[in-house]
Amino acid sequence: MDFRFFADTLLRLSGGIPLTLLLALISCAIGAVLALCLAAMRLSKIGPLAFLAHAYVFVYRGTPLLVQIFLVYYGFGQFPLVRHSFLWPILREPFWCAIIALSMNTGAYASEIIRGGILSVPHGQVEAARACGMSRLTQFRRIVMPLAIRQALPAYGTEIILMVKATSLASVITLMEITGIAAEIISETYRVIEVFVIAGALYLAINFILTRIVQIVERWLTPYKRGRSVLPPAASVDAGEIA
Amino acid sequence: MSEAVISVRDLHKNFGSVEVLKGIFLDAHEGEVVSILGASGSGKSTMLRCINMLETPSAGEIRVSGEVIALRRGRDGSMRPADHRQVERIRSRVAMVFQNFNLWSHRTVLENVIEAPVYVQKRKRAECVEEALELLAKVGIAEKRDQYPAHLSGGQQQRAAIARALAMHPDVMLFDEPTSALDPELVGEVLRVMQGLAAEGRTMLVVTHEMGFARNVSDRVVFLHRGVIDMQGKPEDVFGAAGSQRFRKFISG
Amino acid sequence: MNNPGFLQLVGFGQQGWGAALLLGAVVTMALAVSGFAIGASLGSLAAWAKIAGGRISHAAADIYTTILRGVPDLLVIYLFYFGGSRGISAIGHLLGAEGFIGFPGFLAGALAIGMVSGAQQAEVFRGAYSAVSRGEIEAAIAVGTDRWTRFRRIVAPLVIRYALPGLGNVWQVLLKESALISVTGVVELLRQSQIAAGSTRQPFTFYFAAAVLYLVITTLSSLSFFKAESRFSRGMRRS
Repeated sequence: MDFRFFADTLLRLSGGIPLTLLLALISCAIGAVLALCLAAMRLSKIGPLAFLAHAYVFVYRGTPLLVQIFLVYYGFGQFPLVRHSFLWPILREPFWCAIIALSMNTGAYASEIIRGGILSVPHGQVEAARACGMSRLTQFRRIVMPLAIRQALPAYGTEIILMVKATSLASVITLMEITGIAAEIISETYRVIEVFVIAGALYLAINFILTRIVQIVERWLTPYKRGRSVLPPAASVDAGEIA
Repeated sequence: MSEAVISVRDLHKNFGSVEVLKGIFLDAHEGEVVSILGASGSGKSTMLRCINMLETPSAGEIRVSGEVIALRRGRDGSMRPADHRQVERIRSRVAMVFQNFNLWSHRTVLENVIEAPVYVQKRKRAECVEEALELLAKVGIAEKRDQYPAHLSGGQQQRAAIARALAMHPDVMLFDEPTSALDPELVGEVLRVMQGLAAEGRTMLVVTHEMGFARNVSDRVVFLHRGVIDMQGKPEDVFGAAGSQRFRKFISG
Repeated sequence: MNNPGFLQLVGFGQQGWGAALLLGAVVTMALAVSGFAIGASLGSLAAWAKIAGGRISHAAADIYTTILRGVPDLLVIYLFYFGGSRGISAIGHLLGAEGFIGFPGFLAGALAIGMVSGAQQAEVFRGAYSAVSRGEIEAAIAVGTDRWTRFRRIVAPLVIRYALPGLGNVWQVLLKESALISVTGVVELLRQSQIAAGSTRQPFTFYFAAAVLYLVITTLSSLSFFKAESRFSRGMRRS
């Protein structure tokens, strides 16, 4: 048991934590905004918009993330137009390319989660909102969206964890987040198992903390799921529509 | 004779190729309690839902407090409300109590009751809260005000829904089978509240299977059969000797 | 040098890389199939441990699934590839060979994604098993079938029926994950397009072509799974 090596490696790998978190959280944030737009487009009655959103999700879910990253980082540089544009300083930086690719990827998956959340809002509660004269916007703002978010939280929590794991792919385009540093150490020392254990433990720790945070938010937003219910909640009565 | 609060003229409603309402003529006057009876499929819930435009009529005219709800033909041939603002305005004066309560699960009972007054009718929050507390006390669930609907029994939830409806200061209240989803022992508490409202002189249209309520509490009974009004009149007439054969079959069957 | 157009580059002509790309796609699918098979074995084992196993096997299965679902796949690939290489080199040194002996990339990759997939499949099988209604199993017990026959003719078919949607998802994930194995040098679709991109200095062209090919494969896969699902669900109520 080479404690010295363990400690050194732990220190080195921890240096990658900020980049990992930065990549994950920024991409999730941008992705969330993108996801809201996509979900709105998909659920709108405007044919072309809905089709576009559907196509976007379809393509992003059907292709590997690594290919998406390569397309942004290596691919865009192929075009002189891009190389000479004002975007080039951004597009040639691995960090921003990773952010772009990760955001667009999580945007697609998260939009499905949001869409699922919106569709699962009990229809009766939306009707009650209509029946008291709420405009569509008010219905959405006060009833549909709050309920959709609460329904979607567990799945979205999973998506955040997946995003953290996805940041490891940034190491392939030279970014030194945890996996990048781990690969470096492995190629230097060949002590694969130890590095794997420590790097793995770091990821598990990050995911554990994030999962906890999501659970706390869930509990804060859904006090009606705790405590003793006298009868099955109204939502299940909704589900069994009696003629 | 006071002006009709609700006036339905020649109401037709199709769902695809199925014609559910085949020409309904109905008036409800101020202070009247109208019970609407009929077998399932007779169209009674559909008719009620046309009044607050949860369903759009295929043909006919609906008038609420003297105002005709404007309709227009949409691009796909179906009828649509012509003016959404008008529909929203009318809905805020017509309160509905649903069979499945439909309380908003992410809000407490109190928040449920003040939601429409504050966010639709744009009244001052403090005044709405004060009134909401009175209404909750009136229906008998004042102590539940900070609880979530999931923690209430069915009867309590429905009473909360009634308080929510009352909070909107409606001109007329629509009840869509308010007790059908309740366990038998909880039906009574809801009916008692409704009786109290009737005694106060509220205008109520009630689709129900509760014959006792229809017989003893309503001013008028309407019997729907296969999309048309088969018979209507005072309870003692409809339930009594003058009642139609179909109706007698309905209540005995 | 003339500038070949997109179709020429990916086509099958003289300058075309089409054949190579298709070959890469075949390797991709081979990787995915291997990963799926390994994952199915590990996954059903882990699921069984969680359903019917004692405390130790249950805990072991839990540890397995927790770790493999929380650690990035790339790290697992590195583990098998570099770890495997080290292991083989060590054995080689014992036998007198010199230098570095690489663990076959294909094997390392398949094992890696297979292990990760196993954790996912364990959850799929577990969920599918709990979806099978107790009544159907009890009816089989009541009629007197022995444990093995019961499993073979009643439980397993029903579990597969419920597991199909989840398995379809797992397969799609495997197809996409195979792209990661390119880091070990295996010439699957992504690596092939990398080679082509490097050789022709046209990265966008080839990564785009690769993306299209991946899309075709995943779409055909989900269509097939969809068909299989409806076949297997004959007579069942849609939930």
